[in-house]
Amino acid sequence: MPVKFKAPIFDVKNLSFHVRDQVILENISFEIFEGEYIAIIGPNGGGKTTLIRLLLNLEKASFGEIRIFGKKLQDFKEWYKIGYVPQRATLVDETFPGTVEDIVNMGRVARRGIFAGMSTQDREKVRDAMIKMDIFDLKDKMVGTLSGGQRQRVMIARALASSPKILILDEPNTGVDVVSQQRFYGLLAQLNKEENITILFITHDIGVIADDIGRLFTINRKATICNDPKKLLSCDEVSDLYGIAAHSLANHKHEH
Amino acid sequence: MLEMLSYDFMQRAFIAGLFIATLASLSGTFVVLKRYSLMSETLAHSALVGVAVGLVAGYNPLWIAVIVSILAAWLIEYLRSSFSIYSDAVLSIMLSGSLALAVTIVSLGGAFNNSLFSYLFGSILAVSDTDVYTIVGFGSFSLLFLLLFSKELYFIAYDEEVAQTSGIKVKFLNFLLVSVVAIIIALSIRVVGSLLIGALMVIPTVAALQYRVGFRRTMLIALFFALFSVILGMSLSYFFSLPSGATIVLCVIIIFVLSLVINRR
Repeated sequence: MPVKFKAPIFDVKNLSFHVRDQVILENISFEIFEGEYIAIIGPNGGGKTTLIRLLLNLEKASFGEIRIFGKKLQDFKEWYKIGYVPQRATLVDETFPGTVEDIVNMGRVARRGIFAGMSTQDREKVRDAMIKMDIFDLKDKMVGTLSGGQRQRVMIARALASSPKILILDEPNTGVDVVSQQRFYGLLAQLNKEENITILFITHDIGVIADDIGRLFTINRKATICNDPKKLLSCDEVSDLYGIAAHSLANHKHEH
Repeated sequence: MLEMLSYDFMQRAFIAGLFIATLASLSGTFVVLKRYSLMSETLAHSALVGVAVGLVAGYNPLWIAVIVSILAAWLIEYLRSSFSIYSDAVLSIMLSGSLALAVTIVSLGGAFNNSLFSYLFGSILAVSDTDVYTIVGFGSFSLLFLLLFSKELYFIAYDEEVAQTSGIKVKFLNFLLVSVVAIIIALSIRVVGSLLIGALMVIPTVAALQYRVGFRRTMLIALFFALFSVILGMSLSYFFSLPSGATIVLCVIIIFVLSLVINRR
């Protein structure tokens, strides 16, 4: 079982999502606590991204309740506490007029008032985020000219600039090579351990990050939660719901 | 050269023109990045309906154009979000429909004359004191909005969903942006004309994007191109008795072509 640090960041009860007659997610309940590192796996079309979109208020639940930091979703205002990196994050239009610094600055926008310019604190947070993600030397480069791995780190830096309590990542791996991907996983583990940032991460590379994660959610219309990291790769529910044998996941880890 | 500024009508045209160049290029950055370029053309044609009503009914055409253009922007947003119609199809329908309605209104009212021609292609002779006050009044509000919310609008242009999840009121700001774009377009038709304003809004930004620089510098380059085109275009209009909208747009297109050639990779 996860160590319960404080009140949960997310408290989800009996969540369901239907599109017309089709059930996308059914009766899902879980809690996410501060400092956790949770991976979400499941087959394509199983509802992983939909779950994330419900948590982020990008979709409205058909039934059930979501509480964030103890508040009902509709009453929650401090969205800058949640850093989101979507699936398409590495797909940037080449002509988009943005330097790395321009993009990371976006992480401070919601924290600044309408009339406020960038304060010293804002600049420090942006600088710290770029240094943590090892992109400070690239700050004046146009984001469209970067490699997939560099873009991935820019997007995490943008999310980090708002000093989030939780990072939610929806497999932002498009166009990223294996070496960069390994480095990315290392950075996520570091953020979780050293900065105590909670991480909720949709991934197919579960074998590679198995040592880092504390819990595993498998989503395939319903959710199964695998709580014991030591038994992570042998959970029957994982195998059943993901549709592949657990030992395949374990072997996948050694292939990288 | 400076002799032309001794005339009252040229002073009015330059005040209006420079204000419009500023507004069109700054708003144009967001219009282009949000893929709203065709929307500016559609709103320009909708503004023409307001001009037609104003000419026929005897009200200030610019004021009515502002109102009709804002209503058209809201209708477009409503149709796009509420019905399963492709966005570009909605814009195409509105564009043709507006032009048809404007032509019908002026024909029925017997107002098909030089006055309408000046609203189609722009005229430096036609800018009145009232037009200048209207442009500066509504334009100041629009400029304030663009400057205050530029960081939010830039974030939304980059990634609407991520901006929304960080707590930015995306729907509200999108709604305000299309309203402000509608106002700017309606204000611009006096100097640039309804058939040509879309170009002044879009081309300076597209030319500036060729230089592959950051957001602020892109905006400043677009602003410079728009101001330069308006000054040169209105001067050419004065010396050669040409419609100001046409000369301004030709200047901005030449800048765009030069930018393409300079930055060819």
